[in-house]
Amino acid sequence: MARYILKRLWHTVYVAVGISIISFFFIHLSGDPVMLMLPPDASKAEVEALREQLGFNDPLVVQYLRFAGHALRGDLGVSLVHRTPALDLILERLPASLELAGAAMLFALAAAVPLGILAAVRRGSLFDLGSMLAALFGLSMPHFWLGIMLVLLFSVHLGWFPTSGRGSFSQLVLPALALGLSLLAMFARLTRSVMLEVLGQDYVRTARAKGLRERIVIGKHALKNALIPLVTVAGMQFGFLIGGTVIIETVFAWPGVGRLVVQAIFSRDYPLVQAAVLVLAVIFVLINLLVDLLYVFLDPQISYGGER
Amino acid sequence: MIAAANRLSGRGDALRLWGETLRALGRSPGAVIGGVLLFAILGTSLAFPGFTDADPLSQDLLARLSPPFWQEGGSLAHPLGTDNLGRDVLVRILYGGRVSLFVGFAAVLVACGAGILLGLLSGYYGGRIDSLIMRVADVFMAYPFMLLTISVIAVLGNSIFNLILVLGLSDWVTYARTVRGSVLSIKEKEFVTAARSVGTRDPVILRRHIFPNVLSPVLVLGTVRIANIIIWESGLSFLGMGVPPPMPTWGRMLAEGRVYITDAWWLVTLPGLAIMLTILAINLLGDGLRDALDPRLRNIPR
Amino acid sequence: MRKTAIAMAVLWAVVLAVQPAAAKDPNTLVVVQEAEPVGLDIMQSSIQTTMSVGYNLHDTILKPQEDATVKPGLVEKWEKVNDLTWKFTLVKGATFHNGEPIDAAAVKFSFERLMSDALKSPHRGKLNLFKGVEVIDERTFTMSTTEPYAPGLYMLAQYFFIVPPKYVRQVGDAEYNLKPVGCGPYKLEKWVKGQEVVMTAYENYYGPKPAYKRLIFRGVPEEASRIAALLTGEADVVSGIPVHQRQKILASGKAYLTDQMGSMNYLGLNTYEKPFDDVRVRQAVNHGVNRELINQALFQGKAILCRGPISPRTFGADPALKPYPYDPEKAKKLLAEAGYPNGFEARLAYGTYMSQIQEQAEAIAADLGKIGIRVKLEPYERAVMWERYKNRQHQMFIYFWDDAPEPDRYMYSLFHSKSRDYYYKNEKVDRLLEQGRTTLDPVERAKVYNELDRFLYAEAPWVYLYVIPEVYAVSNAVEYKGLRDGYLIMNTAKPRK
Repeated sequence: MARYILKRLWHTVYVAVGISIISFFFIHLSGDPVMLMLPPDASKAEVEALREQLGFNDPLVVQYLRFAGHALRGDLGVSLVHRTPALDLILERLPASLELAGAAMLFALAAAVPLGILAAVRRGSLFDLGSMLAALFGLSMPHFWLGIMLVLLFSVHLGWFPTSGRGSFSQLVLPALALGLSLLAMFARLTRSVMLEVLGQDYVRTARAKGLRERIVIGKHALKNALIPLVTVAGMQFGFLIGGTVIIETVFAWPGVGRLVVQAIFSRDYPLVQAAVLVLAVIFVLINLLVDLLYVFLDPQISYGGER
Repeated sequence: MIAAANRLSGRGDALRLWGETLRALGRSPGAVIGGVLLFAILGTSLAFPGFTDADPLSQDLLARLSPPFWQEGGSLAHPLGTDNLGRDVLVRILYGGRVSLFVGFAAVLVACGAGILLGLLSGYYGGRIDSLIMRVADVFMAYPFMLLTISVIAVLGNSIFNLILVLGLSDWVTYARTVRGSVLSIKEKEFVTAARSVGTRDPVILRRHIFPNVLSPVLVLGTVRIANIIIWESGLSFLGMGVPPPMPTWGRMLAEGRVYITDAWWLVTLPGLAIMLTILAINLLGDGLRDALDPRLRNIPR
Repeated sequence: MRKTAIAMAVLWAVVLAVQPAAAKDPNTLVVVQEAEPVGLDIMQSSIQTTMSVGYNLHDTILKPQEDATVKPGLVEKWEKVNDLTWKFTLVKGATFHNGEPIDAAAVKFSFERLMSDALKSPHRGKLNLFKGVEVIDERTFTMSTTEPYAPGLYMLAQYFFIVPPKYVRQVGDAEYNLKPVGCGPYKLEKWVKGQEVVMTAYENYYGPKPAYKRLIFRGVPEEASRIAALLTGEADVVSGIPVHQRQKILASGKAYLTDQMGSMNYLGLNTYEKPFDDVRVRQAVNHGVNRELINQALFQGKAILCRGPISPRTFGADPALKPYPYDPEKAKKLLAEAGYPNGFEARLAYGTYMSQIQEQAEAIAADLGKIGIRVKLEPYERAVMWERYKNRQHQMFIYFWDDAPEPDRYMYSLFHSKSRDYYYKNEKVDRLLEQGRTTLDPVERAKVYNELDRFLYAEAPWVYLYVIPEVYAVSNAVEYKGLRDGYLIMNTAKPRK
């Protein structure tokens, strides 16, 4: 087990290195931010001086090694726009991102799992058809559209929830709902299909044949096995969500990492973009590691004890 | 899905599987509805310009924001109303469908192409090639996809070509992993080892014996992804980075129409409806395809 | 299964039990803009939404007025010593938020900080005709310019911010950008990044005291969400209201509209290269855009058509000029004369961040198509747009400036070859601009700008578009009158009876 975790941590390292290389070279292809940093009447000499000062005149490889050297010491650079350490800016925003992603995930799972199970158990019924059709509609609504509709309905029309911002629980509801609905649809479909698969397995049939009550068959035997793919997908989605909620953040003025980084991309704030991509990637890998470890608890048959 | 491949034993069998699949598809009402619907949507979008010279870009500023014909103030000249520049919404939806679907299909093709190639190499040769490709795949998987897309578009500019490329490239990993998995189980099969023993060269084995057998899961995956990409393009349009103007796409119509959401419902609702129908069709077909290709599900009594 | 069901029920109960947002504190004023500030030191940014926050924390020595004159601010009286020098007297007993006195030494320090290389202030260029601050005694100082500078006082009123020397030296520029100590009507309470800037009224403010004890600035990028916040009462003052939303806001019965800076949009042409090196082509384009129709369709007739480069609302615009009439036939004739009987292809760049820009660009492109100019649209992000602009990569481009009352403020920046000569340069224009800023007599000065306006009208280095008067929406519970050339300075807002 320990060995497995060590191996996975090593995996995190090479992913981090790979990501940092890609993002570094990529963003430096876009030209440098010097023109944007100076007042419009800056002279050519001033532009050159700042470029030299920020080290943009060195070869890319040298610049990358310099970045990597600093990064190893935990220094991810200072944001050019905010003039604050990039890592601080990201860590400042991270709780908001985690909160939103977590709430959306929780909501989606809480609703999707029962829905999916019921649909699977009553395969072909009107309930199955209706809920799966609804799920498809859920999948086909772009986030921004759903977000605006929710605001118009629940804030402006009914006055139940605030329109935007973060701080209170009521401000979390609408963005989490907007984000969660498409997840709900995805998870409900997934739960249904894995449940169907599991229900066709021999051991479930045996359990049924033994005369166990249906609820126990589903709850104890089937659901447990169905959970594994569900957890995998949920873990991966959670990883994507942390940096990928720019649109919802924009509609609800939610202070997450996504909007911060997109702004940074637009203003070519290299250090901030690099730092953010790196942090998000590491989080993604770690979440997946956690998910893998979770398997052990879900299914004791899986073990990670070295060579097999 | 791997199970489906397991039962196969060669090229002839692959063909038989396709035949079986089609028959199974025909038995699934969802798949038939989805297929017919998708065919109708594709057909209308593609054939439409052949029947009319209506121009999706022609403006009539004085007739802007006029409602669909059944509402007061609407007329049959613009059956589904006009947009904020007085362009015909129906014509734009039909043209927009071509672009949206084209982007969806093309991006999936790019992703599939790259994914299948790398997955085949990775699974067949194993060893160093395999670990190198899978390491790269891990990196791509962990790269925040949304940020990748946005930064590529911000750097290269938002042309259709760039959009297809970046949407395709950020999605190849899933295909590569699926294909690799299938290849691993197929390459030890008798018909492959037999081919190898008579000295058939690797490219031929890959093309003739392995490729046809790994296609089915990829097909299922790809179908559903087209739908995702249409939604994605809409999100990018919201951020001002979708397919460049003036050519309409469903996503951009939706994104641009949102500011008129309370004064001109048809600007968002109608392209939204088009997206919904398409996604419904694609998913119904995809579900049917999956059920047809996966024998484990076929056996479940209803 | 049962556990899941219970968990779900609990979750839904929590969701449904949430009470509607609590009634707002009547002593708090909430302002919602398009973006949160990038920093709080007003000297370090020229972004409008950032400066609006900064103006509440900071003060200038004078207050700019709509007719390009000035009124007392931190300076209570001033006199002209000669054509190059003004002498100023500070108000008595004014202090910074930390208690530091506002004296002539602080003024001198502030000027030197603003002009320093280390700070790289974007406002530096606007005050670079001033040589410096001479301290006479604690409350008096003089400022001289290198040449007579007609808009001098106005520029000082708009851009000369006063900061506390001791505190700035102590914390440095970076920290000051996060925790400024100004001398404005409000002092900083806290800045929750990404969420809000909270300020409290400064009890020792030397000027009119704010009516609201607390002032909160929030940034909400999405237009629909901003307006929703206004309609639900979460926001009292909202900026960035597009024209087509105005009717809806008024009809809601919850808010009214007040002035903001106008956005003067123009379409620049690269006059150095074919085909726009030919003045006939440039005039043809001016005749080819149906601005009146665009105004009616996109701005409900609320925009003001531009005649020449000087906004009709700015001092010095020539009243005798008429906007280029829409005349596609004449445009085609001019194009044919210039050697383009079949038109040509051209690229039109614009920044995606401008308001209602997509529809404007598409409408203009369609108009130009009718006279044979086949336009390819090039939407760019803010940064890319600006960089390509400076690198002379645009062929046609839509940009904007606010239509400030003082012509020198934008005309010099946009047309003088020392400021920018990226797409157009003309010696006569340079001469008139210099004459305009050094002529002190208002009547003579107006004549100079009139001539400049007429000259550039005929030269047509731009397609003159329109000024879109922008507005703030203000909740009916609040009384606030926007300044046409001003920012959201909220000490004049008060509860409505």
